[in-house]
Amino acid sequence: MQKKVLALLLIISCGMFMGLKVITDKIPRKIIPGASIIYIPSGKYLKFASFGHSSLLADLIYIWAIQYFSNYSVPERFQYLSHVFSIISELDPEYLDPYQVGALIAIYDARDFDTAIDILELGLKKNPEQWIFPWQAGHYAQILLKDFELAKKYYQTAMEIEGSPPIIKRLYSNAIYELGDYHTAWKNWLEIYNNSDDERVKKIASNHLYRTKAAMDIQKITGALKEYQNKFNRLPEKLADLVASRFLDSVPQDLDGQDYVYDSDTGEIETAVIPWKR
Amino acid sequence: MKIRAVALNTFKEAIRDRILYLLLFFAAVSFILSRLLSLLTVGDKTKIIIDAGLSSLSIFGVLMAILMGTGLVYKEIDKKTVYTLLSKPISRNQFILGKFLGLIITLFIMLLVMTAIFFIIILLHSGTISWKLFVSLGFVFLELCLITSVALLFSCFSTPILSSIFSLSFYLIGHLSWGLETLIKKMSPGITKILTQVAYTLLPDLENFNFKTEVVHNLPIQPEMFLFSFFYGITYTFFILMLAMLVFRKRDFI
Amino acid sequence: MPKANALEIKNLHKSFKSGFLGKKIKVLKGISLDVKKGEIFGYLGPNGAGKTTTLKCILGLLFPDKGTINIFGYGHLSTQSKQKTGFLPENPYFYDYLTASEFLNFYSKLFHKQKTQNPDALLNLVGLKDNSTTQLRKFSKGMLQRIALAQALLNDPELVLLDEPLGGLDPIGRKEIRDIILDLKQKGKTVFLSSHILQDIEMICDRVAILVNGSLVNQGRLDELVSQEILFTEITVSKIDRRELEKFGKTLTHYGNKSLMQIYDQDKVDEILQFIKEKKGEVHSLIPRTQTLEDIFVGMVKQK
Repeated sequence: MQKKVLALLLIISCGMFMGLKVITDKIPRKIIPGASIIYIPSGKYLKFASFGHSSLLADLIYIWAIQYFSNYSVPERFQYLSHVFSIISELDPEYLDPYQVGALIAIYDARDFDTAIDILELGLKKNPEQWIFPWQAGHYAQILLKDFELAKKYYQTAMEIEGSPPIIKRLYSNAIYELGDYHTAWKNWLEIYNNSDDERVKKIASNHLYRTKAAMDIQKITGALKEYQNKFNRLPEKLADLVASRFLDSVPQDLDGQDYVYDSDTGEIETAVIPWKR
Repeated sequence: MKIRAVALNTFKEAIRDRILYLLLFFAAVSFILSRLLSLLTVGDKTKIIIDAGLSSLSIFGVLMAILMGTGLVYKEIDKKTVYTLLSKPISRNQFILGKFLGLIITLFIMLLVMTAIFFIIILLHSGTISWKLFVSLGFVFLELCLITSVALLFSCFSTPILSSIFSLSFYLIGHLSWGLETLIKKMSPGITKILTQVAYTLLPDLENFNFKTEVVHNLPIQPEMFLFSFFYGITYTFFILMLAMLVFRKRDFI
Repeated sequence: MPKANALEIKNLHKSFKSGFLGKKIKVLKGISLDVKKGEIFGYLGPNGAGKTTTLKCILGLLFPDKGTINIFGYGHLSTQSKQKTGFLPENPYFYDYLTASEFLNFYSKLFHKQKTQNPDALLNLVGLKDNSTTQLRKFSKGMLQRIALAQALLNDPELVLLDEPLGGLDPIGRKEIRDIILDLKQKGKTVFLSSHILQDIEMICDRVAILVNGSLVNQGRLDELVSQEILFTEITVSKIDRRELEKFGKTLTHYGNKSLMQIYDQDKVDEILQFIKEKKGEVHSLIPRTQTLEDIFVGMVKQK
């Protein structure tokens, strides 16, 4: 064949396949590259297949997972969130970033609290010295679910790990307060107040102590008000009346020695100041 | 010394092998690739660079060891250069040792070059180089020495293609033997269990030289691990070399 | 104590396994020979007789099934033997990328603690003086043959074993190598020369052995083996009719008006000369042919 003809055919075929590539790229396909990772039953098998390079494989799957889960064209992609991150964990249990990021994806993209917790629990199981995992779990429980019982449990786990920051204890104590156990909350906050040298922390603890005392006092006063109402069918004029009618031993005062504000029409009791503005 | 002469000659021959430079190129490419991948990860960006680097060094090093080692003795027999060499007052054992030494010197230099490129990439990424990384690389080299001796052994009696397959199998088995340990734990006691345990101890355990995870996560390593792994590598390599000498000893060069 | 022979082979047997099923093929069937110090010994045989196999056994490249080999009284695998021996293989091949001097320098290092010849002097001897820095990959077959001889002489060996040393050389090269071999004998060396080219053997060997199908069919001094008797006489004659010549002996060829005749009966030679003179013919040549090595050789091979 002549050289010119050959060259011409070469250029034509090149142009054709490049054009076809552009066309096929435009056709939407549901297949995401590398998605066959989903079908691996367990990370254990993959660990065998990596022949000693499981750490690298974990990195690569993690990078792939980040891309995969941020790809909006696959709406049902979160089915495999827990599975993929368990594979990464199996390959490199001490790789900490994936646990956090996996939980993050679960919470904010998949809106799946249970999966997030599963991932964080797995992280803690494999790395018992990492207080960040139970802390995050507690954080999500508190902020998103407002489940203080769950939050308290996780804060406690985190607190007990050596090296955990003091703020966790404060979150723990706050959770106890939110659950209504004012006595334990008071004890904890007192401990925090006494054990800290930091002025800022002391201030925070003192505010919490104020709030807790207020809650306890208000609870007590409200109880007394109820009894008064049952007896006299009306609310007292002032709180001192409760003492006179012997429903209270004395009128409690707030932590700063101030009186509580009593509304005789509604029977509501409030603190004179907002705890945080003391 | 005679062994040194053969080693030097082997080194001169091996260093001209173009396959080395091809693999070196791929190693460099994979380092650069890892640098790019680090842009896609969330969190610790240095981890993938170190992981990819160590894995590449290990894989490409093993490929170099196998591709060169399997041709080493075979080529001499095939091309009949061995005729005049062995008719000189040099023993067959000295010949094998010389070949082995020449090859590991070549591998050492290749590893050094790859490590230099690797370190440059890490430092550019403003990572730090811990002493554990050096130790890990030392053990990569030890693993390469062992694989080389295996490739040399097969080269004494088999064609390059078969030798490569056998050597590669050795490498793969060496990284899977930990699975056998798990299996043994689940077995019920008896003669099968004992036999499997013996097989397990005999088979190579290349995971003893794998410190990648400890380097990357900066985990503590017991000093005994280093010591015993090192001696394990040395003695196993010695064993394979003795085997090679045994095979080569009474070989007829038709 | 009698001086040891340069090379002594006693009852050498060697067989090979052929194919996967391992059918045994016997290549050497009990060879025994002696090579005396200072002689050039020719080892003859057709292709496939087992000459190279014998040489490889001597050098320890093959291990005999049975028999012993001694070199200057030492076992053939001993270091002493190796130190006194030099070997030139058939179709030599060496490390491509080395230059001639690099190659000789490398090999001389294998003679640790033994004095070796100057590589440049050796290159000069074999006619490769100008190629000392040329890579071996660029050498022609003849040049490879020469460097092979050079490496065989590195350790100034007492016994030189040569396998087809004149192969691939042009006539000048062949003469040069023959001269080197004769020179070695002058220096008191022993040469063991294996070849299937009879003319070379005839020219320089003192004693020969003929190997056919793994057994020695004959050995001894060349002049004893080849009788000096005249076998036949070749006469070239012209101007005489062919048919008239036929009654004296066999006519071989005719070209132009000349005829070539082979006369076996010596008495008839005088008769035919007389006849030609009478018929006014012309005698162009008269050659008495004695037995050559080729004749013996062909005869031996045919017998087998």
